[in-house]
Amino acid sequence: MTDWSKVFEVFGSGIVGVYLVMLLLQILTQLSTRIIDMIESRNQSGDTAVKPPVTDDKGKV
Amino acid sequence: MIAIFKELIVSSGLVSLTGGNLIMWLVSFVLIYLAIKKQYEPLLLLPIAFGILVVNLPLTFLMEPEHGLIWFFYHYGIENDIIPPLIFLGLGAMIDFGPLIANPKTLLLGAGAQVGLYVTFFAAILFGFDLREAASIAIIGGADGPTTIYLTSKLAPQLLGATAVSAYAYMALVPIIQPPMMKLLTTDHERKIVMSKLRPVSRLQKICFPIISAMTIMLLVPASAPLISMLMMGNLFKESGVVERLTKASSNELMNIVTIFLGLSVGATMTATTFLNPKVLFIFFLGLFAFIISTASGLLMAKFMNLFLKDKINPLIGAAGVSAVPMAARCVHKVGSEANRRNYLLMHAMGPNVAGVIGTVVAAAILLKNLG
Amino acid sequence: MPELLAPIAGNVWKILIAVGDKVELDDEVIILEALKMETPIYCDDSGTITEIRVKEGDAVNEGDVLAVIG
Repeated sequence: MTDWSKVFEVFGSGIVGVYLVMLLLQILTQLSTRIIDMIESRNQSGDTAVKPPVTDDKGKV
Repeated sequence: MIAIFKELIVSSGLVSLTGGNLIMWLVSFVLIYLAIKKQYEPLLLLPIAFGILVVNLPLTFLMEPEHGLIWFFYHYGIENDIIPPLIFLGLGAMIDFGPLIANPKTLLLGAGAQVGLYVTFFAAILFGFDLREAASIAIIGGADGPTTIYLTSKLAPQLLGATAVSAYAYMALVPIIQPPMMKLLTTDHERKIVMSKLRPVSRLQKICFPIISAMTIMLLVPASAPLISMLMMGNLFKESGVVERLTKASSNELMNIVTIFLGLSVGATMTATTFLNPKVLFIFFLGLFAFIISTASGLLMAKFMNLFLKDKINPLIGAAGVSAVPMAARCVHKVGSEANRRNYLLMHAMGPNVAGVIGTVVAAAILLKNLG
Repeated sequence: MPELLAPIAGNVWKILIAVGDKVELDDEVIILEALKMETPIYCDDSGTITEIRVKEGDAVNEGDVLAVIG
């Protein structure tokens, strides 16, 4: 017969797991964006001739 | 003379034909029609349909273990988990995570849509499927073909044909399946919300993202490694900008080659005896249910996030949290511009859309870890 | 002078206007193509087109000027 405790375990751990991973990834992405912003603005205000400003490409797949 | 003729008839497949074979021919013809005439995911549906046809010609033994041609493709490609990760490599080399990096909140929308998947898991068990089968059916709601094939081949290989075909068929039907739910769950006012411009994303950020996410996801959910590692390496190839040849090989040549073997092998699993089974009808029904519930849970997640956000998001983009790149994002854009024709949601919807790919893989990996 | 900006990154698919044309608010003036989908761009102001800054097939970024309306 169906093992309902296993069903609920899979159900619960799945939802919690997915949210946890995505939330952590969101925080890390925001953190890295902030750090990279800082590095890039320092590079730009410093010696722009050494490191050309990074251009971004068009957001297309 | 007559003896030779008789011998030819007896050794031919004709005498071994079953009614089931004939029905499978019809299924194959319908899929060939949909692929060619309606262009529903033709790159996959056409090899799948042809696979169904040839495997239902008796005495060809194409799927005979250790002998058949297609059995070798199936065994080495799918049973040994080679092909789905290679498709992900190509996918990574094509995906632009830019809109996601510009608006990382959309990662949560990619998680939101996966809730539908677990609801379907529950529903499938009520319908009498066992846990492993239920998980394989639920993953259809993630709207990601390779992930569906990857998970089903590990948990319930007997259902592979049905889950793969329904995943690809419903992906093609996104523009029909999603809009009613999107309109039902959002008000006209919400659909009119114009989102603020996405911030520019620098090359360095785009290079860091696949590295950071590969490390994070694989450390947390090691079972996701085969798919995530390939996906993120493909993306790193693309964003690095220095290995254009590898990027092109991954996203064009390699991807096209493995697509042929993937489609053909999946089609060839659908012999009359495995496919003509009342369970298959339930799978198609539950797959559709999964798709609709995932759309709904994505939309509701977006509405929920709006309760806390100062800069409101258009809840429609939550519907793009089902993977189906870029069909779901296009669909969001269309529904948004119907409500307000100055609403250009395409790029905003690409964020949750690519987040959905990651979310589906994570969900599949967790299912695999618990049930594998 | 009001400028018509690209609301989305993509390629210019069709230009439906020419320099000197009179346009009204909400006229469809340019069609962009992004992710294999045609996206019509509508005019924000009424007036006469004085300049078109793009040609068919050009790639544009979000925020680029497509045309100037005088």
